[in-house]
Amino acid sequence: MLPASAFDKEGFLRHLKDWTPQVARQIAAAEQLELTDAHWEILYLLRDYYAEFDSSPAMRPLVKYCARKLGNDKGRSIYLMSLFPGSPAKLGSKIAGLPKPDNCL
Amino acid sequence: MASRKRLLLLIRHSPYGSSLARASLDVALAAAAFDQPVSLLFTGDGVLQLLPDQDSAALGVKNPGRLLASLPLYDIEQVYVDAEAAARYQIDLNAAPVPALALDRRAISALVEQHDHLLGF
Amino acid sequence: MTLHTLNASPASAVFADCLGMLAAGDALLLLGDGVYAGMAGTGARAKLDACGAQLYVLRDDTAAAGLLERMDAITVIDFDGFVALSEQFPRQLAWY
Repeated sequence: MLPASAFDKEGFLRHLKDWTPQVARQIAAAEQLELTDAHWEILYLLRDYYAEFDSSPAMRPLVKYCARKLGNDKGRSIYLMSLFPGSPAKLGSKIAGLPKPDNCL
Repeated sequence: MASRKRLLLLIRHSPYGSSLARASLDVALAAAAFDQPVSLLFTGDGVLQLLPDQDSAALGVKNPGRLLASLPLYDIEQVYVDAEAAARYQIDLNAAPVPALALDRRAISALVEQHDHLLGF
Repeated sequence: MTLHTLNASPASAVFADCLGMLAAGDALLLLGDGVYAGMAGTGARAKLDACGAQLYVLRDDTAAAGLLERMDAITVIDFDGFVALSEQFPRQLAWY
């Protein structure tokens, strides 16, 4: 368990390198979310996105990126909404240990 | 339906000399995220942002080249480049991080006329 | 038709970039260090005259530089004139 000081006011991890799967479970638990294999697939995809583009995605690019990497069945906002209710780009990035997306208002 | 003003970003500063490069891309992504039509024109030292193989990790700052590569995911499929400026630095546009179309003076003037607002960075 | 404002000296790369983008029918307002590009008889001024844009300088900045008598044939305007000019052009672009 990481101490509260490892997170910012909104619960985003301050340092990318502090992230581990265990930390993801800790953040997800705080969001009342239990992580399944389907969640993990998206979380690793979000980390890949960050590594490739040096930024966290807004919703539209996340959907397109999922379609590109995982196929059209998963590249749909309704699929992402079912896994990460509310704001998938924001919630997913948070659990994946990425900084809050700049353009996710 | 709200009117959609076409925005042209004129990008003319090098990637690491100031925070302008990053700011211009943030504007582009924000506009695109809100479905506003936005185009990017690289001119002057701005073409230096299109160099491949940028690695800013040791500087501890974000890499605009990497962010440019994500533009197609925001439905910005290509950017425009001042052909003269690209030639001055011998920038190979085929190796640019995002598909880039070189424009001569006349084409640049036409591009400007097609947009409602200009923002310089 | 674009109103350009230039706030950089003629020795800067910005001056060349701006010059490259000026099209016939555009206007250029010189302000701040940009007013030095308007000095009559200089190479920079010759380039501006050749580009075909309408030229303006901002009065306060020109006076501060000591150049009010050296702007041959460039229209000197104040801030109200700047506002009026902004209204005439659908687009504006700042060079700095």
